[in-house]
Amino acid sequence: MRTVLLASVRTYLRRYVAGVLAVAAGVAFVVITNGLASAARDGLVSGVDLPYRNADLVVSDLDGSEAATVVERARRHHDAAAVLGWTMQPVSGSGLVSRRTDVGVMADAPSLRWQRVEQGRFPRTAGEAVVDVNAAKTLGLEVGDRIRVGAGARAAEVVVVGAVDSPSASVGASLYLPWQTVARWASGLYVDSVAYAARGTTQGTEAGLAAALRADSGGTVRTADAFVEHRTVELSQGVDIVGYVLLLFAAIAFFVAVLVVTNTFAILFAQRGRDFALLRCVGSTRGQLLRAIRLEALALGLASSLLGLATGAGLGLGAVAVVRAVVPQARLGSVSYSPAWFLAALVVGTGVTLVASWLPTRRVVLVGPLAALRPEGAAATTPSGRRRVLAGLVLAALGTMLLGLAVATSAAPVLVMGGAVSFTGVLLLGPVLVPALVRAFGRAGRRLAGRSLGSSLDLAAGNAVRNPRRTATTTASLVVGVTLTTAVLTGVASARQSVDREMDEQYPVDVALVAGTSGFGDTVLADVRKTRQVAAAAAIPGVLTEVSGGVGTLDVLVAPRTTDVVRAALPRPRPGEIVLPDDAAGDRHRVRVTVGDRSVVLRVRRGEGFGTVGLVAPRTLARLGGAEGIRAVWVRAAGGADAEDLTGDLGAIVTPYQADVESGLQNRAFVDRQLTVLTSAVVGLLAVAVVIALVGIGNTLGLSVLERGREHALLRALGLTRRGLRTTLAFEAVLLSLVATVVGVLLGVGYAWVGTETLVAPVAGGGVRVPWDQLLATVVVAGLAGLAACVLPARKAVRVSPGAGLAMD
Amino acid sequence: MTQTLPETALGVAASARSLTRTYGTGDTAVAALRGVDLDIPAGRFTAIMGPSGSGKSTLMHCLAGLDQPTSGTVTVAGTELHDLDDDALTRFRRERVGFVFQAFNLLPMLTAAQNIALPLELAGRELDRARFDALVRTLGLADRLGHRPSELSGGQQQRVAIARALVHAPAIVFADEPTGNLDSRSSAEVLGQLRRSVREHQQTVVMVTHEIEAATYADEVVVIADGTVRTRLVAPATDELVAALGGDR
Repeated sequence: MRTVLLASVRTYLRRYVAGVLAVAAGVAFVVITNGLASAARDGLVSGVDLPYRNADLVVSDLDGSEAATVVERARRHHDAAAVLGWTMQPVSGSGLVSRRTDVGVMADAPSLRWQRVEQGRFPRTAGEAVVDVNAAKTLGLEVGDRIRVGAGARAAEVVVVGAVDSPSASVGASLYLPWQTVARWASGLYVDSVAYAARGTTQGTEAGLAAALRADSGGTVRTADAFVEHRTVELSQGVDIVGYVLLLFAAIAFFVAVLVVTNTFAILFAQRGRDFALLRCVGSTRGQLLRAIRLEALALGLASSLLGLATGAGLGLGAVAVVRAVVPQARLGSVSYSPAWFLAALVVGTGVTLVASWLPTRRVVLVGPLAALRPEGAAATTPSGRRRVLAGLVLAALGTMLLGLAVATSAAPVLVMGGAVSFTGVLLLGPVLVPALVRAFGRAGRRLAGRSLGSSLDLAAGNAVRNPRRTATTTASLVVGVTLTTAVLTGVASARQSVDREMDEQYPVDVALVAGTSGFGDTVLADVRKTRQVAAAAAIPGVLTEVSGGVGTLDVLVAPRTTDVVRAALPRPRPGEIVLPDDAAGDRHRVRVTVGDRSVVLRVRRGEGFGTVGLVAPRTLARLGGAEGIRAVWVRAAGGADAEDLTGDLGAIVTPYQADVESGLQNRAFVDRQLTVLTSAVVGLLAVAVVIALVGIGNTLGLSVLERGREHALLRALGLTRRGLRTTLAFEAVLLSLVATVVGVLLGVGYAWVGTETLVAPVAGGGVRVPWDQLLATVVVAGLAGLAACVLPARKAVRVSPGAGLAMD
Repeated sequence: MTQTLPETALGVAASARSLTRTYGTGDTAVAALRGVDLDIPAGRFTAIMGPSGSGKSTLMHCLAGLDQPTSGTVTVAGTELHDLDDDALTRFRRERVGFVFQAFNLLPMLTAAQNIALPLELAGRELDRARFDALVRTLGLADRLGHRPSELSGGQQQRVAIARALVHAPAIVFADEPTGNLDSRSSAEVLGQLRRSVREHQQTVVMVTHEIEAATYADEVVVIADGTVRTRLVAPATDELVAALGGDR
């Protein structure tokens, strides 16, 4: 049998190309994931110890004000402490338009400074800052620039005195200011940890110190070594989780690969049915035949997996190199491939091929020896089994019931189960469902097409449904990818609705221009309204006040009752109340607000998204002596406005007034961008599965073209032109991919609806939103991809002259 | 030995001059046809015979415009095939030529009626209902029109193929071993139908066969050996044919 095995692998190698590609793509996916994850881990973990090199103890799990107490203790005891954390503050000045930037802390003690100076020097006074070298490029900052950090009374004017490299990824920031300056934002500070270096500690005193720090701050205290180890493990686990999520997509790709490989084997074995029967005729046993075929599958699986390993390893290295060159901020380290992952990928790839060959192989050995003596064409179609249809119906019904239950109970596990069960049901129904749809589409197309195209369409529809099971498997592979893509697109579109609503409440004012000490001139409102991308603007009257408890000077405004500039209702202060943003309010319950010799004590309420100002009732403002003039201009951006551009343009208008530009739009844009990036990433990852499915369609067509050589020759003899034959094949491919896409889109929207009703609606309300434009694009892309898939098979088919085709065996 | 046929009023349907066809190049080149000169009379049933490998199928493929000769000219129904490009040749075939093949004659996914109408479908021409009905009646296919090829017997399939070859009133019909896969009764039926179309409708039919029994139905038999015309016989009897072919052995 070995001669037979080798000869058939040699003869049919070209027909295995698609199967090899499908498996190799899955294996490569796994290896690339390993490469990227290892690079990400290396990048994150490298330098993790640097900030704690000279520290004795590290305090973590604490907030800004608790961190302040630790720093205060260090000052009292002449120890050194460095806060590792950051706060998001608007930064403007020196040609830089107001932009929210992460601001970190530069340690005062040189021993606790972990950044490396690349240019200039470290800050010496509270009014100096350094910028990260990479951030300097994106922010457009240079050493010597004078910038304003923060807004309102808490803003700080600082000079950039140096550019530094931040070699520790997990605690890096764009700007570093001394604690003395950062302390004013302590209440809004995210603290990662505080490094503490005591003077002359010994084993004995360290335990006491740790206890004291714990008591002071309420945080977790570890020795520096223990902390570094803890952090390393934490970061690695984070990367691992991302890696596992990626593997989920690899699993989807493998599932599609199984369908493609199954189909490849099924078609090939159908074509080789006579060979097998002949082998049985000349005396090979069923077992021998089975072994030979399984060995063939094993060899194929091994070869494809090895190809995938090599390609994946190369692509992984390449991808990391490109990312490191193009996006240095991404902080990817070097790639280290793990033998375990390679072995796993190899085993999975080979296993998947074997599994995929199992069913077709079993069918082969059922071929009796007499089949070789029967005329050709007898073994063409297999009716889809009744049991399969029944199972499909039962599963589809059961899945639908589970999905209904999921909506009713908002239970995520039921949702997943219902989705899996109903999808399996649909796939099982494929051999009945898909041919019916292909015929329907063919008939619909026939009505649209002219007479000459009509016959090509009829032939194509007829060809497409000749072997229902083959057609169903081919389309199923594409249905998987399209369903998931559609579900993700629709799900995200629906979730975006709730996010938008939440954003409206969090950032009711797109851009707030808040007057400095000088106030606004009369023309400012007109200028703002003239600015591009401004939909509406309102001038808000108010007065500049002095607020007690360290809040400082603050504009106090009366919010207009109705206005078209805000996206959601603002909190409405009653007389005797003042609405303050968290940053300004801190933990105060009451503040005294003073204008000249008038003064009132007001209860503090919290609210966000209208700039660093206080909102009061009209009566309260009257008690403070009434409005002095326009103290703020609120702007609503036009739909689709570019946050950076708009903020920059508005900044230019108000620069003469030394006003602050506070833009909720930028945060909104940031969240928006993250959602978009997330969607594109998921769709991109699913694209691997879709591409494999398209290779599968091309493969099925290509193999069918080989089978139908004589038919094509007959058609050509009877008067079908080359172009006509090409059109017929194109129609067949497009019919297959369109049917798959339509089924996938319908299923995907359905699943997205169920998912939204189950997971989003109970929490955030709102129903499903169908992104028609994106779904239409999906259908069009699938149609075009179908066309692309038929290019090679069609070329092969028309190259054969009718005479030669008829002589073909 | 060569006998000329009395000229018919209808003239010549197809002719070949100095026809050669070589497959492959260099050392592996095989000459299937080595200079064939041949006239096929119109309105007659002509059989082309020869042992396997003699080049008879290649000759038919070249005459029918299914294959391009290496050199020489082919004229069918007044059209010089050499001048036609692939599309023009295809159009010529579907308008002027009908085919009946040995096997894989019908498209499996189409019904008998659809198979018969296929040449008109491909040409985008209207079906001549009267002609279709007459053909179907003559060939005894009236109650088989909705069936697919797999549901028809071999003889029925071949009769469907004959109907398809005649449906668009071609200038010439080529039949390539039309009885190769049939039992003797079905063979007689199919050959009878072909002869009937010649007798009753002055259809030109060219049949390639290696069966002496089949060739006796023809008005004239052209014997091909080693890529050239060896002899032509008018309405030969069985023993005449055996003798003509036996020259090989």
